[in-house]
Amino acid sequence: MAKLDKNFKKDYLVEFSIDGAHSFHIKNKKPSRWILAHILHGSNKIYISIVLVTTIIAAMLSSALMIVVGEAINSFILENDTSLLFYVILILSLGISAPLMRIGNFMLREILAQRLERDARKEFYINLLGKSQSFHDQQKIGDLMARTTNDVRMLNYLVSPALSLIIESFTSLIIPLIFILMFYPSQLVLVPSIFIFTFLIALRSYIKKIGPVTEKMRANFGEMNIILNESISGISLIKSTVQEAQEKHKYLMKIKAYRDAFVEQGRIQAKYIPILLLALMNTISLTHSIILFSHGSITVGQIIGYLGLLSQFRFPIFISFFVFSIIKLAGAGAKRLLEIMNKKTEIDENLEGKSKDITGNIKFENVSFCYPKSKNKILQNISFEIRSGETLALVGTTGSGKTTLTKLITRLYDVTNGKILIDGLDVRNYALKSLRSQVSYIEQDVFLFSNHIIDNISFGKKSSFEEVIKVAKLAQAHEFISSLPNGYQSEIGERGIQLSGGERQRIALARAFLVDPRILILDDSTSAIDSKTEDEIQKAINNIQKNRTTIIITHRLSQIRWADLIIVLKRGKIIAQGTHEYLIENSPEYRKIFIKKFDLDEEKLKTRGRI
Amino acid sequence: MAFIGLEAEKYDRIYQDRDLFRRIIGYFKNYKKKIIAITLLLTISSLIHAILPILITIAINSLEISTNIENFIIIILIMLSFNFLGFLINYFQQIKTSEAIGNVILDIRKDANNSVLNHDLSFFDQNPSGKIVSRINTDSQDFGRTMELLMEVISSCFVVVVFTIIMFFLNIFLSFIFMIIIPSFFIVAILFMKAARRRTILGQRAIASVNAFVKETYSGIQIAKTFSQEEKLFKEFEQVNNQSYKVNLKRAFLFNIIFPSLGIIQAFVLVLLIYFGGIDILKGTISIGNLNLFIQGTWLLTFPLFTIAAFWPQLQAGLASAERIFALIDTNPKVIQTDNIKPTKLKGKIEFKNLTFEYEEDKKVFENFSLTINPGESIAIVGHTGAGKSSLANLLARFYEFQAGDILIDDISIRQFDLSKYRKKIGIIPQTPFLWADTIENNIKYCCKNAEKEDITNALNQTGGAEWIEDLPNGLETYIRERGSLLSMGQRQLTVFSRVLLENPSILILDEATASIDPFTETRIQEALEKIMKGRTSIIIAHRLWTIRHVDRIIVLDHGKIVEEGNHQALISKGGIYANLYNTYFRHQSLDYIEKVRDL
Repeated sequence: MAKLDKNFKKDYLVEFSIDGAHSFHIKNKKPSRWILAHILHGSNKIYISIVLVTTIIAAMLSSALMIVVGEAINSFILENDTSLLFYVILILSLGISAPLMRIGNFMLREILAQRLERDARKEFYINLLGKSQSFHDQQKIGDLMARTTNDVRMLNYLVSPALSLIIESFTSLIIPLIFILMFYPSQLVLVPSIFIFTFLIALRSYIKKIGPVTEKMRANFGEMNIILNESISGISLIKSTVQEAQEKHKYLMKIKAYRDAFVEQGRIQAKYIPILLLALMNTISLTHSIILFSHGSITVGQIIGYLGLLSQFRFPIFISFFVFSIIKLAGAGAKRLLEIMNKKTEIDENLEGKSKDITGNIKFENVSFCYPKSKNKILQNISFEIRSGETLALVGTTGSGKTTLTKLITRLYDVTNGKILIDGLDVRNYALKSLRSQVSYIEQDVFLFSNHIIDNISFGKKSSFEEVIKVAKLAQAHEFISSLPNGYQSEIGERGIQLSGGERQRIALARAFLVDPRILILDDSTSAIDSKTEDEIQKAINNIQKNRTTIIITHRLSQIRWADLIIVLKRGKIIAQGTHEYLIENSPEYRKIFIKKFDLDEEKLKTRGRI
Repeated sequence: MAFIGLEAEKYDRIYQDRDLFRRIIGYFKNYKKKIIAITLLLTISSLIHAILPILITIAINSLEISTNIENFIIIILIMLSFNFLGFLINYFQQIKTSEAIGNVILDIRKDANNSVLNHDLSFFDQNPSGKIVSRINTDSQDFGRTMELLMEVISSCFVVVVFTIIMFFLNIFLSFIFMIIIPSFFIVAILFMKAARRRTILGQRAIASVNAFVKETYSGIQIAKTFSQEEKLFKEFEQVNNQSYKVNLKRAFLFNIIFPSLGIIQAFVLVLLIYFGGIDILKGTISIGNLNLFIQGTWLLTFPLFTIAAFWPQLQAGLASAERIFALIDTNPKVIQTDNIKPTKLKGKIEFKNLTFEYEEDKKVFENFSLTINPGESIAIVGHTGAGKSSLANLLARFYEFQAGDILIDDISIRQFDLSKYRKKIGIIPQTPFLWADTIENNIKYCCKNAEKEDITNALNQTGGAEWIEDLPNGLETYIRERGSLLSMGQRQLTVFSRVLLENPSILILDEATASIDPFTETRIQEALEKIMKGRTSIIIAHRLWTIRHVDRIIVLDHGKIVEEGNHQALISKGGIYANLYNTYFRHQSLDYIEKVRDL
């Protein structure tokens, strides 16, 4: 399956990729360069050039309009009535063509923005599909979701409105200056230039101040949600322990902090100096132009045109302060996306690994394990052996290392010390694909796709309807599936039917029957409320154990009791192993379970254990 | 904006706009001084805004008369001082505004949260927590934003009105021409809002389906990898992603038409002004400065006018937000105490007397239900789903109000007790124990803040020992994440047991877990349960075989009635309803079952 994309070097070996799909991220590339690569990709370049050109033309049209208005007034003063119609037509065409130009411009920039969102999401998605399972095990779905939705969306906003508004602001600062130079005495450019210079400085300091406050508000709001959510979830606890006052106080502190941040934000916004600068510039440039007028260097119409040109500065002044926060957010978003995409996935494929059919003998030799970059030993000196077709039951409390132990077998993680042998061969000497295709894993919370039941069962292997029914029967799922209104065509999920944990487990078992792996790892944490369901789950598990090596993590005493080998784990160590009969006699911990649960005395238990 | 989730909900009363405004004003009343200051400052700052262009007009007009610089100095100086004054006034106005709005939001949130926490549980059954949270936090935020906007609209109105008056003063005909801009802006804005709303909903739906699909992929990645089906997922992803692209592009197109359209309207009005103004200038009936004021007006008033035009739908959304919060604040709790007897110690005698109870009208859970439980007795309640087991517990905890009959605790009606003092005497362990995202220690001493470390270890030792806690990375200090997700279900129960022991209640109500628990932890739970039941009245909604064998009396409930009672042995040998129930719910927990499971 693992195809090698041309763009990837060897250390970018991934488990999945799409031929012809563009991937722009290159190791350690900066977010800005990555975004740029996206923006400039393919036909986008043409769009960008058009956007740039039309932005400039639109700004030029607006500026020209101001100058023409001034000239029109001049000619009226000179009582030139023949020119009236000429100016009316000219002003109308200039006045309308600028907005029309903008419509086209906006559409194109939207295409760019939406494309960026679409393509970045696609790249991110493909990249995640290509990551190894051990990578995915370490990710929180909520976190990945936040990246795929919000961070990607930020990139869209980055292009539209943020970047395009910056371009627009920039042109509506520069073009009027150029027009002033072209049409009016060049010294008139002085005041606006000083203004632009001071404006940029003031803006910079404003952004620096407002950023942290906005961030604080966002963080406070998040905490408000967390606190409220938690106290509503725990409402019966709060009530039964009479802690309402305390919870109210907790929330009050948070909303007060939010209020303070809100007021602080208001203070900073109130101090937005560019507004003052703009007003001062207007007054001073008016003064300047009047002085020139008194010297006879310009006309009244030109003063009006000049003031009109300067009125275009209003736009950048009022939009810049929110634009920059978007840019910052988008930058942070891109960084988060790249952070995930550039993570190396920890598959260490043995290129000379063997592909061969296994029979299912498993042997752990002195295996120890700690997670990468951690010194904390999750498993210590684990040794045991089970033969093909046998069942191993792993028992222990949460955190004792049961699940981790099973993950070492398919090399979702590699052992730190010792080795694991399957049919006498170290798992690291197998071709990964060959190894994994013969070992199935049914996890604790069985995942089913929001799809038809039949598609879920045949997910791993296309099969006929008859085959699906056959395996569903083996997994004791046929009965409850048939009783659903749409039978095997029933849709699972939010919009479809909700299945209980036991039912989901049996569908997963059916899926496993279909693929028929040599080794099955079953993390079984379901509980049946009634005995009939329990009967069915038991039958299904009994069936799947036949003719294959099964490792079962379970709380079911009935499954533990009959396993060929029971391993009792505690803090990563084996504290007892053997058959039920052996453990009843030799392990006090194991014996205690039965004594307590069934009110037996030790003698009686020992005789029963030998049955 | 709050486009989604506007559908009316159950407890929403329809407030009259008048009532709504009265409530809103009520909140602002607390900041009367600030509001007066804001109004004053807003008026002045709008006047300054409108006067500056007029000063320019005067300056330009006087250019026609004289070119002597000195004549202008006064005007320029006035303008400069107005520049500074305007900024200063705007500065104070903004600060006062954010203080007033910030405080009003704070008050509203406080009231809403207090009211929510005072409700009984029937309220929370009807209102999912997500909705409550979004009402208190998000709706108040939206409401605040509407208020900020309102300030802007008010100041825009001032500017427009002052400017319009001046224009009419200068030239009536040109003013009428200028006025064309106002209705056209409103029509465009309203048409746009309508279309935008629809497109936005479509856009959000499209993106939501992408999100749902991606979420599913991440959740099911292991299955996809195990069976090498990545390509299949990718193809489906490509479809939804492209669909979202198309739908959202359409939405974006619409949003981008609005401002250029306004620009086109502006251009037409400008041309009319130039044409008729030009004629007037040629005739000498208008001064250049005055015409310039009209022309400047087309740029200056664009933004204020648009703000006003777009405000109506936003105001509606803001009012809807306010209504949702007020509805939350105004709902009355149903559980009410009639007296305030403060029990110091309860003996633990419980008597249900001819009790009638329903969650919803005409769906009676109990009718004439009677049961007496003696002090110190342990009771297991068994029965099918819907028999009324949890309702008994809920009523005892005063989470719900009953409709008829009475519940007597130590021969006093439960309604006469001081609610909080009474609840302190009741220990409740729900089926899915709730833990805070905090340390284990803080969770155990949640009810008793002043508990010493010693008390905690004591409580732990009584509930099967502290040994399992030592296995955790930081022992008692371990941070156990949201809802205690770091712990197994069994460990969470042990924690809750310790908490209840520390609380030392007279009556214990336990809804036993149905979740599967590892055998080692289960052994501990059994030991803990033995200790915790000792010396107090215990009512256990039993799901475990072990429990029903260890209580004093089993009550078999069916459709709100007691159909059998007695101890396990006696009921089994009776061969009645309980025996049947045993075969349905408890048989698979027996040692016999374990031994024979192979023969299924």
